[in-house]
Amino acid sequence: MRTVFEIARTDLRIIFQDRSIWLNIVVIPVILSFVVGFANGAGATAPPTTSTLLVDVLDNDSSDRSAQFFDEVRAANATIVLCPLDNTDDDICQLAGAALDETLAESRLSSQEALALIEIPAGFGAQIDAGEPVAIGYRSSEDAFAPSFILQAVQSAAQQIGGTAIAATVGTQVADDIEYLLFVDDADRAAFTETIRSEAASIWATDPVNVEYTASDFDSETLVNRGGGGFSQSIPGMATMYVMFAIFPAAAALIRERQQWTLQRLATMPVSRAQILGGKMLARFALGIVQYAIIFAFGVFLGVRYGNDPIALALLMATFTLCITALTLALTTVLRNEAQAAGVALFLSLTLAPLGGAWWPLDIVPDWMRTVGHLSPVAWVMDGYRSLIFLDGNLGTVIVPLLVLLGLTVVFFVIGVRRFQYS
Amino acid sequence: MDAIVEVRDLAKQFKRQNGEAFFAVDGVDLDIMRGEIFSLLGPNGAGKTTTIAMISGLLNPTRGSATIGGHSIIDDPIAAKKLLGVIPQEIALYPTLTARQNLEFFGRMYDLDGAELRTRVDEVLEFIDLTDRQHDKVETFSGGMKRRVNIGVGLLHNPQLLYMDEPTVGIDPQNRRRILDTVVRLRDEKQMTVLYTSHLMEEVQQISDRVGIIDHGKIIALGTVGDLIHKIGEEDRLVFKVGDQAVPEALLERFKAEVEGVSSATYEKLEIKGENGDAPVDIRSTSSLQIADGTITVMAQRGRKALPDLLQIANQAGLDVLSVEVREPDLEAVFLSMTGRALRD
Repeated sequence: MRTVFEIARTDLRIIFQDRSIWLNIVVIPVILSFVVGFANGAGATAPPTTSTLLVDVLDNDSSDRSAQFFDEVRAANATIVLCPLDNTDDDICQLAGAALDETLAESRLSSQEALALIEIPAGFGAQIDAGEPVAIGYRSSEDAFAPSFILQAVQSAAQQIGGTAIAATVGTQVADDIEYLLFVDDADRAAFTETIRSEAASIWATDPVNVEYTASDFDSETLVNRGGGGFSQSIPGMATMYVMFAIFPAAAALIRERQQWTLQRLATMPVSRAQILGGKMLARFALGIVQYAIIFAFGVFLGVRYGNDPIALALLMATFTLCITALTLALTTVLRNEAQAAGVALFLSLTLAPLGGAWWPLDIVPDWMRTVGHLSPVAWVMDGYRSLIFLDGNLGTVIVPLLVLLGLTVVFFVIGVRRFQYS
Repeated sequence: MDAIVEVRDLAKQFKRQNGEAFFAVDGVDLDIMRGEIFSLLGPNGAGKTTTIAMISGLLNPTRGSATIGGHSIIDDPIAAKKLLGVIPQEIALYPTLTARQNLEFFGRMYDLDGAELRTRVDEVLEFIDLTDRQHDKVETFSGGMKRRVNIGVGLLHNPQLLYMDEPTVGIDPQNRRRILDTVVRLRDEKQMTVLYTSHLMEEVQQISDRVGIIDHGKIIALGTVGDLIHKIGEEDRLVFKVGDQAVPEALLERFKAEVEGVSSATYEKLEIKGENGDAPVDIRSTSSLQIADGTITVMAQRGRKALPDLLQIANQAGLDVLSVEVREPDLEAVFLSMTGRALRD
């Protein structure tokens, strides 16, 4: 065993003598994991991290009608906080004492400090009372095809206040047509209209059919994983791809050793074939594990959680790394020169990774593509990571990927060891 | 003296690309005695490397057996290889490691460790005269220095048998001399057995106690240099260069019939070859030509005595001899005599 470790140690020493290795196993993978994670949704559309929905309000009317509208919005969704109207002593609106004007509201909206902006135009109340159409301004960056809770609440409030206005107008006009219900004066008529409006509002408020919005509790630490994309996909995906980038070059290295005759020299020494191949493969296996560790550690920094079964996670990492190491040994037996080995390594890495779901989740590809994808060991290890990261899986739920990867490892090793030649 | 290497009926079969099977080595029997320098001589492709590859455990033989110090290289390879040091023709070193790191790594492969390893590496560095450059990377060394480290690796564990495969290929005469001296020192000072392969007849003749000549996978001659030369009758070889002049067969017959001691006379015509030695060539399409003069080769006992008569007959036949060379009997002549081909062909 000492000989195996010595061969592996010397190979690693040679690998790490080339300083570009740090670029290849740290800098590029970390940057790529971050970029791909970001492109997959991390950060850009992150859900809110509190259970309140901050909505800015610019009330240019400050009338009873606008106050009534805001009451209806609050009633429609209790998680909505209208800023600055509902600001608290601890500054829930995060205004820091600033007066909300159009410029600040724009800025807060673009930075998503506030999720929406409601603008009440001047003359809002008077126009409603006069039965004239009026437009409430609503701005948000939400998906037009998937209206948010906030928009639904605003629409509900607008509908309600419009409905009561219609009821009051219709009721007053009906009263005007009944001769024995003559109003004493305009004030009497206005009071009548208001009574109808008030009654309509009360009836609307006691509508037996209503939707109750409740913001569910969530753990902000697990939010990235529950989001289903972003870094939780990119970190294991990119790590898996870069493990292949780290290990496949062993084929070219072995061919180079054959050409420079160091491999044959080892074979003439009192060292068994198993020790030589074991040492060579152990070096690349260790490099693969280091590669996984670097990218997964970066994932921790980005807030990715790897589930609750570290043993299952470690086994997945080790088994996949072993499988790719064995595949590399098998490849060495059919490749003839370094250029061929480099080309095949690049081709395999860039084919097996997307095919197996390292670039995007296999959930989004057609069924037939998913089936084809499972020809790649990457698909199996990504199945395992998905189970642990997204579904709180454990050793029991990743046993199938583990067994498949182990099976492939045995097949590749048998081919590699039986076909390997020193020259 | 007892044999450290015993080879019996060793054979290796390969397949050509067209699927046809052939024997690269076919029934080699060989004993190499302790403390001798034994050279295996033969042209490229004769089977030298394949034979040695089987003796050193790189190739499994198709049939036959080989033992080193009584240990079968097939059944007990680890024990056999412990006795063997190999110095390949290639510079089999890690170029980005230093000389010392290379020696330490390969030393550990021979189970050397700790103080013993350090001592042996120091001794070897001193032996190959590279102590002052031990911490430099091998890739920064000259060809001769790399070759010395390459030799040093094979000496690390003080092997009983040292195999050196064409160790002087591609190096300058000064380093070549140094390596040949090293081989002799290893035998004389450390009582090492050296198995030496080369296609350079001169150096084999210079250092070897015994020589085996291999051709087409078979040992065709075995013995001391003196024994082998004696076998072909110790004839001198006289080479007459005649340029592009035609030489009639009748002249060759006169040489044999009229000059005492002449056993054979052959004529090779002038040849024009391309820069890679290919013939014939279109001289309009090549920038570099090799022109091989027409030569008459005469084998004769006491060649110098026969020379005046030979020149007189040539003169009478109107042949203008451009130059004459008299070669004493050597292994080249032995090979020529036994195979009808020059060693370098």
